Amino acid sequence: MMKRILNAEIRLFLLTAVFAASPLLAQKNKPAKIKAAALQVEMIQSDEIKLPAEFQVALYENLIRQLEKNGFSHVYRDGDRNAASVAELVVLHSTVRGFKAGSEKARQVTTVSGATSITVHCQFTSPDGTSLLERDVNGKVRFFGGNLKATYDFAKKAAHVANENFSTPGTE
Amino acid sequence: MTFRGITVLVGLASLFAGLVIPVANAQQVSGPVKVVQLTGLASVKDNAKGTLQVENGQLHFVHGKASSDVSASSIQDVVTGADSQRAVGGTIGLMSMAAPYGGGRVLSLFRAKIDTLTVQYRDADGGLHGAIFTMPVGTSEVIKKELVAQGAHTTSDKEPAAASAASSSTPNKEQK
Repeated sequence: MMKRILNAEIRLFLLTAVFAASPLLAQKNKPAKIKAAALQVEMIQSDEIKLPAEFQVALYENLIRQLEKNGFSHVYRDGDRNAASVAELVVLHSTVRGFKAGSEKARQVTTVSGATSITVHCQFTSPDGTSLLERDVNGKVRFFGGNLKATYDFAKKAAHVANENFSTPGTE
Repeated sequence: MTFRGITVLVGLASLFAGLVIPVANAQQVSGPVKVVQLTGLASVKDNAKGTLQVENGQLHFVHGKASSDVSASSIQDVVTGADSQRAVGGTIGLMSMAAPYGGGRVLSLFRAKIDTLTVQYRDADGGLHGAIFTMPVGTSEVIKKELVAQGAHTTSDKEPAAASAASSSTPNKEQK
């Protein structure tokens, strides 16, 4: 009887140890962050998808703002000459892959329909064009807010991706 | 003419004037236009209400005591669009969502048409900025024309009539 209880205790301990260790192992397996002294955000491209100008601009402006909020102290805009002299510069190219305009009116009247969604392919490269990271990030507005709120949602998610994968000198 | 006849005549004249005057006002913009700056202007908060005017080669936005200028020659693209917003907005609009029997939802059906003006410009370092404004119907094309006349560039060189016709079929316009 005593032996059975002991065995059960050992099993329970081992099980607990395995579960407790798994997040630690996962953290160890996580790839190291790529060093980025500064980020340069290129204008959002939408060659394949017809995107209204205000969405394109709102995506770009929100993206820059969210990156600055997420600890990137040096975020350069498209075409900024000062970025040319920065070492360890990472360039963010964004291309719209999907867009559903939705309708604020439909959202407010029905709650369940009229969602606006945008899918953007984000490619982080070095200045010479070598790809460092590629991700598809989407932005949505389902219930409250204007259609442009989807661009804010995208920007927050894209900034989170950047923050997870790149380290700036101040945030190491 | 009887008193009744005069009343009908005055009524018809007022109705006609009511239909024509807003259109005329929308087409002839002289002086500042009331706008909402949604985003993009440096040192101006999002959703700031103010006035917009094109003068001396500058796009001049005034918000309270502060003002912001963008040189027309630095503007790379000016695009106009059409959109709509809730007729009853703000805090009252938000509070109405809690009205019983879907009263708030009924209010959402009443929407006011607005114009959008999207401007892309470069700063002194060559950095690209974008600003979005909303304004009364018919005013964005006039501002765009003035900007182009004073040196701004645009990628969509359409006549106002053609532009307004096109805007009704573009994704800019909300799906009804």
